[in-house]
Amino acid sequence: MLPLSRRIAAPLLGSILMFGSGAGWALEDRVVVMTSYPDELVQRYEQAFERANPGTDLQVVWKPSRDAAVELAKPDQGGVDVYWTPSLGSFPRLRDAGAFRPLAVDRAVLPGVVDGQFVSDRQGFFEAFEVAGYGMIINPAALARDRLPQPATWRDLAATRWTGRLALPIAGQVGFSGALYDILLQAEGWEAGWALLGEAAADATLVGSGGQVSESVVNGEADVAVTVDFFARSAIANGHPVALVYPPRTAFLPAQVAIARAAPHPDAARAFVDFVLSAPGQALLFHPDIRRYPVRPDVYAQAPAGTVNPFQRIGAEPYAYDMEMGLNRHGLIAALFDTLIAARQDRLKTLWGAIHAAEAALAAQSTAQSTTNPDPERTALVGRARMLAGFVPVAGADVDRLAPMFQDRRSNRNPEEQAAMRKDWSARIDAAHAEALELARRALPTP
Amino acid sequence: MRRVLPLAAALLVAATPVLADEAVTVPVQGRDAFSRPLPALDPVRRAAFHAGRSLFQQVWTVGPSEVRPDLDGLGPLFNRQSCIACHAKNGRGEPPEGESDSMRSTLVRLSVPGSGVGMAPQPHPVYGDQFNPDGIPGVPGEGRATLVWSERIDRLADGTPVALRRPDLRLGNLGYGPLGPEVMTSVRMAPPLVGLGLLEAVPEADLLALADPDDRDGDGVRGRVNLVWDAARGAYAIGRFGLKANQPSLRQQNAGAFDGDLGLTSTLFPQHGCTAAQTACRAAAGEGPGEDAGDDARPELSDEQLDLVTLYTRALAVPARRNADDPLVRVGEGLFAAIGCAACHTPTLRTGPSAALPELAGRTIHPFTDLLLHDMGEGLADGRPDFQATGRQWRTPPLWGLGLTAAVTDRPTYLHDGRARTPLEAILWHGGEAEPAREAVRRMPSLNRKALLAFLDSL
Repeated sequence: MLPLSRRIAAPLLGSILMFGSGAGWALEDRVVVMTSYPDELVQRYEQAFERANPGTDLQVVWKPSRDAAVELAKPDQGGVDVYWTPSLGSFPRLRDAGAFRPLAVDRAVLPGVVDGQFVSDRQGFFEAFEVAGYGMIINPAALARDRLPQPATWRDLAATRWTGRLALPIAGQVGFSGALYDILLQAEGWEAGWALLGEAAADATLVGSGGQVSESVVNGEADVAVTVDFFARSAIANGHPVALVYPPRTAFLPAQVAIARAAPHPDAARAFVDFVLSAPGQALLFHPDIRRYPVRPDVYAQAPAGTVNPFQRIGAEPYAYDMEMGLNRHGLIAALFDTLIAARQDRLKTLWGAIHAAEAALAAQSTAQSTTNPDPERTALVGRARMLAGFVPVAGADVDRLAPMFQDRRSNRNPEEQAAMRKDWSARIDAAHAEALELARRALPTP
Repeated sequence: MRRVLPLAAALLVAATPVLADEAVTVPVQGRDAFSRPLPALDPVRRAAFHAGRSLFQQVWTVGPSEVRPDLDGLGPLFNRQSCIACHAKNGRGEPPEGESDSMRSTLVRLSVPGSGVGMAPQPHPVYGDQFNPDGIPGVPGEGRATLVWSERIDRLADGTPVALRRPDLRLGNLGYGPLGPEVMTSVRMAPPLVGLGLLEAVPEADLLALADPDDRDGDGVRGRVNLVWDAARGAYAIGRFGLKANQPSLRQQNAGAFDGDLGLTSTLFPQHGCTAAQTACRAAAGEGPGEDAGDDARPELSDEQLDLVTLYTRALAVPARRNADDPLVRVGEGLFAAIGCAACHTPTLRTGPSAALPELAGRTIHPFTDLLLHDMGEGLADGRPDFQATGRQWRTPPLWGLGLTAAVTDRPTYLHDGRARTPLEAILWHGGEAEPAREAVRRMPSLNRKALLAFLDSL
């Protein structure tokens, strides 16, 4: 027996036309599209769709993803025809809840795979609309002026040369940072990745707004920041002298589109989905104020100069980012970032300052004495201090077990349990950091 | 130089360029030219500027929102869902291209003869004072608004043809019945937002000094202030914002836009704009038949949010002039003054000592506006009075940033309804008090006209 959603949807199953929205019959007079995209993107699609489909009014219902899920769970799904949004975790959950109709997609045109990652629904209920990558926005002129090399890898972020020059998004406040930090953590390894983040964050500016992360580099408050790429790409396209660096181990993650099960305007809904996946619809993504990556390889022939093609990325390392695993742990990452970094940045600054001072002293001693390890005892102390400073209170092996408790970044579904856990984390972090500071200070040569 | 400008007269009017204060201008020319904060803004206010920008770009949602209750309250009737929807890149809006297109960054003001509260235009009894095409679920929108264009060829004295297009407003699919024969309409395209804080900081006394409603100097230019209702002070005040100078302050301008365009209440405008006939609207707003929601209801836009957006609009810097020393531009600047454009487009004003932001105080600025109302002739008239502005009067729009319109906007258009596609077309639409200046442009040798337009492009 077919699942309910399939039984309902089957009679309406139609192919997604890949050649524009010219259905051979009159569309309904409206299509209701629910989204959380910014208006700069939505406006352009609204205008282009309505011009291509005179007589059909595109009505936009803007909802954050959790509000959207509530709406789509209603019997009439709030009158919504299409759900079109950058919310990685929402689409599989909604599909499993029977919220969508199946789509038929021509995989010759829309491969559904970008940078080795499957970005659409293998069951065919939602389709990738665009992808965005994660990397670093930099101010090349400022770095050149101060004779600093451009960062190339995630590991480069921990270098002491960025003191006061680096901006990092606060994971609990910036929507894209869950994916961003998870990509880094999967690339570097859980424990090593957190140590890297703690060291980098010690002297960084923590930013609580997604757009402001890139803006901090644009306006000169920082020289390097980690970000989802479209903020940086749009800044470049708008004439700002900044650049975007993709570390070799990064990922391109999708935003998706689906037709609601109870869509009251199914033909217009299909026309809209067809439009956003058509060549003209995909090419709109190259607009300077949008700058997201199309999921149709054929439109890259129209790409502005300098556009990276995620289907043919140069310099990428083989890196199988696990999107599903990442989705489950964004909330945990936000909670850990909050406890480990945001709440302790001052102490991290002191701690890593002491470690860097000890390491510098040892390096100076090494140079002076022309030996590789002039003081093994102090070297060991610093090594131990570094290890403790990078302590993360959740071991990599425990992540999958604990992640469900923090599943939703903005909710607090187990407040007492979470509070107890955070208290335990704090105690263990503080103990590790106190010991690390003591060791680092002991490692400093006596004046 | 001689090759470009054969007229000795033109050489005589070459001007020393007016250049702006670097603390309030930014040397940017790209698509973000209208989006930068004042360089002088202090760090705390700079952070607030960024927070205000987030709200300016925010799409508001139909309530209730479990996730973002601070961002819900859209409607019940509305034009757009965000500020940026009309003010893309803080630049000009775009009018609809024709019958099959819709108004997106242009709106229609409505009224009937008579005066409303505080001598404001009398709202239409059914549709209110602004046409709202959209409604939240369950609330019918007011209809569809668009413009249909008709074109004619105007000829300059040297025979050069210039196509001028005139809009014809079409209101269709009316959700609440016919508008009736008495309705007065005014199409308003979103204006650029740079330098508004500086304009707000110009003392009222300076505007009154510029005004000459009785044309005592006999130059044919009769600027006058608009006297409008200041809702916060509960008193009349000089209007300086809006295309007819119908708002006295940026805070009220913004609160009015949130109210009229997005349907968000604030402490300044605590009631939704639903009329008695719009029962679904009133029900959605929590207003029963014949009653208001009450002034004690929580405004959908908090004072803090309104203040942040106001700070954002107040602190948007003016792009610095380009090529101001170019000889052609200097000649154009001289011609601009010589033929009378500067009589209304006043090149230089000075802000007062007590501005809303200390960074704005005591600055010499070059907005090329007197913020006064002028009769612009029948060609531009909307026939709809707005406080003391007649149907033929418009406020002199600032010209700073004019030359970057094409860089900022995908489809640059000019004038209050976007009918002009080039600055020259805009000039040729001038009438009334500006007719002599328009005719001077029409008669100009082409090289002088080129100089004038080069000057405008340098702003």
